[in-house]
Amino acid sequence: MSGVFAGGLALADQSPPEELVVAPVSAHEDVLRVEHLAKSFGQVTALRDVSMHLKKGEVLGLLGDNGAGKSTLVKTICGFQKQDSGQMWLHGQPYEPKSVQHARELGVDVVYQDLALIDELSVYQNMFLCREERYSRLPFLNGAKMKREARKVLNDIGIRLPRLDVPVARLSGGQRQSIAVARGVYSNADILLLDEPLAAMGAKEGAMILELIARLKQEGNLSIIMILHNYVHVLESCDRVNMIVDGAIALDKPTAETSVLELNEIVVEQYRRARQAAQVQEVA
Amino acid sequence: MIHSDPDAAAPARGEEQPRSAPRAVLSPWTLIKRFLTMREGSISVVTIALIVYFSLSIPAFFTSSNFQTLLTYFTWLAILAGGEVFLMINGEIDLSIGGVYLFAPLLFYEIVGGGISLVPAVILTILVCTGIGVVNGVVTAILGVNSFITTLGTLFALEGLTLIVSHAEQLNMPGSAVSTSANGSSHLGTFASIFGAGVYSELVWAVVIIAIMQIALTRTRWGLHTIAVGSNRIAAAEAGVKVRLVVIRNFMVCSSLAGLVGIMEAVRSQSISPDPSSSNSVLLDAIAAAVIGGTLLAGGSGTIVGAFIGALFLGVLQDGLAIKGVNADYLDFYLGIAILFAMLINVYVGRVRRRTGVG
Repeated sequence: MSGVFAGGLALADQSPPEELVVAPVSAHEDVLRVEHLAKSFGQVTALRDVSMHLKKGEVLGLLGDNGAGKSTLVKTICGFQKQDSGQMWLHGQPYEPKSVQHARELGVDVVYQDLALIDELSVYQNMFLCREERYSRLPFLNGAKMKREARKVLNDIGIRLPRLDVPVARLSGGQRQSIAVARGVYSNADILLLDEPLAAMGAKEGAMILELIARLKQEGNLSIIMILHNYVHVLESCDRVNMIVDGAIALDKPTAETSVLELNEIVVEQYRRARQAAQVQEVA
Repeated sequence: MIHSDPDAAAPARGEEQPRSAPRAVLSPWTLIKRFLTMREGSISVVTIALIVYFSLSIPAFFTSSNFQTLLTYFTWLAILAGGEVFLMINGEIDLSIGGVYLFAPLLFYEIVGGGISLVPAVILTILVCTGIGVVNGVVTAILGVNSFITTLGTLFALEGLTLIVSHAEQLNMPGSAVSTSANGSSHLGTFASIFGAGVYSELVWAVVIIAIMQIALTRTRWGLHTIAVGSNRIAAAEAGVKVRLVVIRNFMVCSSLAGLVGIMEAVRSQSISPDPSSSNSVLLDAIAAAVIGGTLLAGGSGTIVGAFIGALFLGVLQDGLAIKGVNADYLDFYLGIAILFAMLINVYVGRVRRRTGVG
């Protein structure tokens, strides 16, 4: 037992106690800082009080059970939705993205869990959606240039597709995932949010993406927040890990100082607490 | 590495893409198959077959004078269908085009009556029609009312307004008068020649508008975002597409085109006829032309050229049946059967396209 949840627990309350919520460690090299972020959807609280930070060139693994608030956090940072309260800073400046496009302009891009691919559009059209290349001074799309650049990017990652003008609906799950990742990685962003980038991939394809992330980490230009469920992948690929439990960060540790066992114990403990709380409610 | 096709000669990692390899020469049968499985392919063949049938069975069909008559059946319909296609690709529908079509010439009449000259009056009328599109778009995209309901409301409201303002009386369309010279020959004014009454006026408008819209759909950001919104609205929003703006813009275009067509048809017929039954028929014909042309009612896919061909198909059918002397009571029956037949072919070809990945 790691001790993260040690201490008296209120069984009726499934959230980690206030004193055990990890406070963010801010540093001058932070590219992104989030403080006391909260977000609810009607009666459902997705983010209760999230504070976290991301250093330049760092790969931060974001863990948590289903419904813990990981995707909500990512969607808030990338400008898809607004928080109810709390603040964000980007490169030390207040960060209030008005839209996904605005966040992208500020250097924050995202690969969604659902991939955000348009089935009817081709591979290269999807890769350039909302950052289309046009002929200068004309409103017409420069398809040839987009295809050329998309081919270069996919080759660089190692994704082999014979044609880039086919609708993505005709591709396999792994290929679609690769295209979504490629779109994010080569978007000239300096912060990339990856929401379960390996979800639909086979072992080989997943290894390819992890290899890409390792290469990006080595280059040090891109800071990454990555949601993953596989703890081994987290320990292999990330510099630091944050665990989100019921809408708050419950663990913030360098990956070198934690283990699969510890991460498992936190989740199992959380499951036990939730079950006990449910039983108490049933009795009541 | 991800291999989607083991035979594909993809370049190795980090290598520049080689210059495109020489393409294999396609056999005539492959070309025909590709054409038939294009969205516009099946309706093109059906329309050509219909033209051939009427040409062989009715001597008066394939003549220049009947060609001029045929234009009056389909050109205006093609323009309306073109606007509707953009919205249908968005997964929306605009029923109010019937009301706008009816109301626009009356509004034009009132503006001209207010002392404004003809061309500025056209511009003002179309601007008001664009405003109607904004209302439809805002109510649908921002307030969240289903577009069928929104535009049904606007359709009835505009039809009612037209009856109220016109007192249900037929009016003479300003700018459409024909002058007679001393030698007895009649002359159209420049305004009337350009805006609908000239023999090829509506054809020119239709071809130009369809060409612009086809280019907009396939070669511009607007078209790409329209398809994205119709195919997967959430994914489009996640990718950064301004979904509401795209929908509102398409409503604006659809209403503007309906206003233009309303003015042109009134100029051509030299009268303003406040009859809601005619506008309802116009509305249904436009939707039929778009759907027959290969646009999905469910959204995400469509073709402007297909809508043009769909309008031509309906025009040829109505013109041919009229010349053939088919009893007016049977006309709608034959029309309905022909539309169903054309749609069944479309559905079949669509299945082949999805199965084979061609087109």
